[in-house]
Amino acid sequence: MTSYRYIGRRVPRIDARDKVTGRTVYSTDRYSENMLRARVLRSSLPHAKIIRLDVSRARELPGVEAVLTHEDIPGHNGFGIVTPNWPVLCVDRVRYRGDALALVAARDEETAEEALSLIEVEYEPLPIIETPEEALREDAPLIHEGGNIQHSMDIPPKGDVEKGLAESDIVIEETYSTQFMEHAYLETEGGVAIYDEEEGVITVWCGDQYAFRDQLQIARSLDWDPLKIRVIGSPTGGAFGGKDEISVQIHLALLAYYTKKPVRLHWSREESIVAGPKRHAMKTTFRIGMGNDGKLKAIDVKVVANTGAYDTIAGPVLNLSLESSPGPYKYPQSRFRGISVYTNNAMGGEFRGFGAAQVVFGLEQELDKLAERLGMDPIEFRLLNAVEEGDISALGHRLQTSVGIKETLEAARKTDLWRDREKIKRDLNAAARYKKFGVGVASEWHAVGLGVGLPDFSNIIVEIHEGGEIILRTGAIEIGQGNLTAYAQMLAEALGCDIEKIKVIHGDTFESPDSGTVTASRSILINGNAILDAVKTLQPKLIEIAADKFGIPGDELEYSDGRVSFRSDPDRTLTLAELADHAGSSGVPIKVTGTAVFATSDKDFGDGLPHNYYTYITQIALVGVDTGTGEVEVLKVISLPEMGKAINVDGVEGQCEGAVVMGQGYTLYENVVVEKGEFKTTGFATYILPTALDVPEQETVIVEKFEKSGPFGAKGVGEAPTVPVTPAIVNAIYDAVRVRFKKLPITPEAVLEKMRDLAGTEER
Amino acid sequence: MEEITVQFMLNGKAVRVETPPAFTLLRLLRERLGLTGTKPGCERGECGACTVLLDGEPVNSCLILAPQVEGREVLTIEGLADGDKLNPIQEAFIEKSAVQCGYCIPGMIMSATALLDTNPEPSRDEIKTAISGNLCRCTGYTKIIRAIEVAAERIRKR
Ligand code: FES
Ligand code: FES
Repeated sequence: MTSYRYIGRRVPRIDARDKVTGRTVYSTDRYSENMLRARVLRSSLPHAKIIRLDVSRARELPGVEAVLTHEDIPGHNGFGIVTPNWPVLCVDRVRYRGDALALVAARDEETAEEALSLIEVEYEPLPIIETPEEALREDAPLIHEGGNIQHSMDIPPKGDVEKGLAESDIVIEETYSTQFMEHAYLETEGGVAIYDEEEGVITVWCGDQYAFRDQLQIARSLDWDPLKIRVIGSPTGGAFGGKDEISVQIHLALLAYYTKKPVRLHWSREESIVAGPKRHAMKTTFRIGMGNDGKLKAIDVKVVANTGAYDTIAGPVLNLSLESSPGPYKYPQSRFRGISVYTNNAMGGEFRGFGAAQVVFGLEQELDKLAERLGMDPIEFRLLNAVEEGDISALGHRLQTSVGIKETLEAARKTDLWRDREKIKRDLNAAARYKKFGVGVASEWHAVGLGVGLPDFSNIIVEIHEGGEIILRTGAIEIGQGNLTAYAQMLAEALGCDIEKIKVIHGDTFESPDSGTVTASRSILINGNAILDAVKTLQPKLIEIAADKFGIPGDELEYSDGRVSFRSDPDRTLTLAELADHAGSSGVPIKVTGTAVFATSDKDFGDGLPHNYYTYITQIALVGVDTGTGEVEVLKVISLPEMGKAINVDGVEGQCEGAVVMGQGYTLYENVVVEKGEFKTTGFATYILPTALDVPEQETVIVEKFEKSGPFGAKGVGEAPTVPVTPAIVNAIYDAVRVRFKKLPITPEAVLEKMRDLAGTEER
Repeated sequence: MEEITVQFMLNGKAVRVETPPAFTLLRLLRERLGLTGTKPGCERGECGACTVLLDGEPVNSCLILAPQVEGREVLTIEGLADGDKLNPIQEAFIEKSAVQCGYCIPGMIMSATALLDTNPEPSRDEIKTAISGNLCRCTGYTKIIRAIEVAAERIRKR
């Protein structure tokens, strides 16, 4: 075992001190003297033609500096990560309640608000399509000219699934449905923009996930040179996938351009819920066949996604649903089909888990049912079918990177909670007779990286300045997960220097290089590899500088632990500070770049499918169900992730703990309720998040494996722990009260109803 | 609208500031006094990100109108450290990795401060109750609760 100074340890975050003192400046914390306040006029109908849009009265209001409509957009009136069909400002049609029609900038909030009320809009209502079923009807009105199917995917089948099912001893079939989920980052979408007329530069500060893509999207709509648009996207007050797409950026840039004054736009909580993207609502149908020996034989999956009004990144989300749907198990025959359908409901988009949470909720219940049919232990059953490195996956590609699903299951089996579960449940029940207790388990594989065929790269820069300060420049955004600290750890370890010497400049299109987006659990692996690449270039360079200083050939010197020393006399050394001073005095600062590109799978099904790296994870949940009220209490969750090597143990635990509670919310409370296109949940009084009083005790058991192509053996862990926690809780509820759920969230009413139904059948 | 003047104690110092009478304390702090450590997360009293102490009591500053603080004492996140020396709660939050995106953290720390000021030996349940009005979407609260426990121990030992 290599022993490391920073890697694999508990390292305090480099940004924590500023965060606990309130000194961190988020983009929504920026104010200045003459800063205008902006507001967006949103559609008051979910689906309608715009007959008339009159902003003249608003423009006349004293204190109003600009009122903009689609006519004021110099470039493309649309944005979207994949297909830019989401209007910046609507022209003649609105397709959901969050659609933007006009922008106002005024001297203060109150004036901006008043100006909004002076804008006159006349609509002609159109029929409201709430669900894919309605959208797919022959006579359904078309939400977009090309039809109501946004995307469809049919992965080339593996073998003959019908034959596989026919030859199975046991075949089960079930359909599961899931709700729209809100990201609910504590910092809602917002930021500030300034137009520097002299330089021709528009600067936008906006907490995001990928400043360089925002830069291009802004440039496209303003018809502006992207190099004259500066986006500063870091730090972000929470993102979870919801800030990868454009929110305020283009609106801010437009207003700054027209007013030539600093402008501030910060969405209200209600606006964030109504206008921003959500986790897609989906319906998933499984048909799974198994032999009497417990071996899975065939899986047939169909997914229908409710994607809302526009594309953003819905295609890839659906694709990942399909890729995630078989789980990390072997099936000789398989088929995966899905469609994503436009509606006038909430906007579906990117959300931590990226299509996986919806399908794994169903799959892992199906597997529990199959295990039960054979009287097998659920962990044994999963172990029997789990994949290993080198295996062919359910999709047909070879698993050529580390596969730790079996190790996570083995480790799960050894936990006290699993081993002693019957006794634990009995003891709990003895103390609370009106409750029933259950333990459930579930697993997942979660793709890491964007996938084959997509631009999955990173660039970073390392500089050493006089005095020995080391600067790491990365376009990566700190969205809260602690990636900056992990980068600093990796650089300090590779250079053999103190982490305190490292300063990270991040997420700024003018001050840092393009490191790709912070999404898809990708940023540790790809930026780590880019850092190691930079260090590889840096070391010979440092030796060269030392050789110049000492006036001897480079091969008489060597680099280790932050210094260059004589091979013949290890006590004669030059430190990084001395090397930088020497380089500085000769006018050549020390600066190197590092790059990395994701290795891809041996198959290519198009649109990023399939992936080459996966996080593997098993989670166990202990729940108590109040048989009188139907309330479910999650008492304990153990997460056992395999993400290669853990770079920061606290970071991995933190990701798991936060993800588990997010998954708990998804399972039990959270639901963006939209009826006839109108949002019924508009804040945290109606959209219920778990509080400190609701959360389980948590334990994280890191199951390490070494991934040879990852930095220090690491992959990524940001998303996986929010996925199987849902079926683990649901399986635990079943263990407690013998009822299963095909729909989320599982409210106390739903539990009571199912229990009543069960009692009814038992009596009969 | 006509602005009014309010005077109060802010982080131990007397301040006098002009404000529109309809401004909330949250907006006054952020937009007039430059103290942006106090965060807006909902501006409807539903998230706790804007928590400050008013005469020692934790309040949602988005629900307090600026004129209401006249003559009273307001403590914000910026008032906790003594120069470069952090208070034990801040230290414990760093040490126990209780911080992720950080946006909820000032409000969390203010609620924890109010708790430990009045109850130096809180049970885990009392800690959970004290921060139950502070939503955090990143951490799952586990490390935050642990950090408050550690801070409480340290304060008691002093
Ligand atoms: S901003 Fe005050 S409680 Fe949310
Ligand atoms: S740390 Fe992000 S909301 Fe709490």
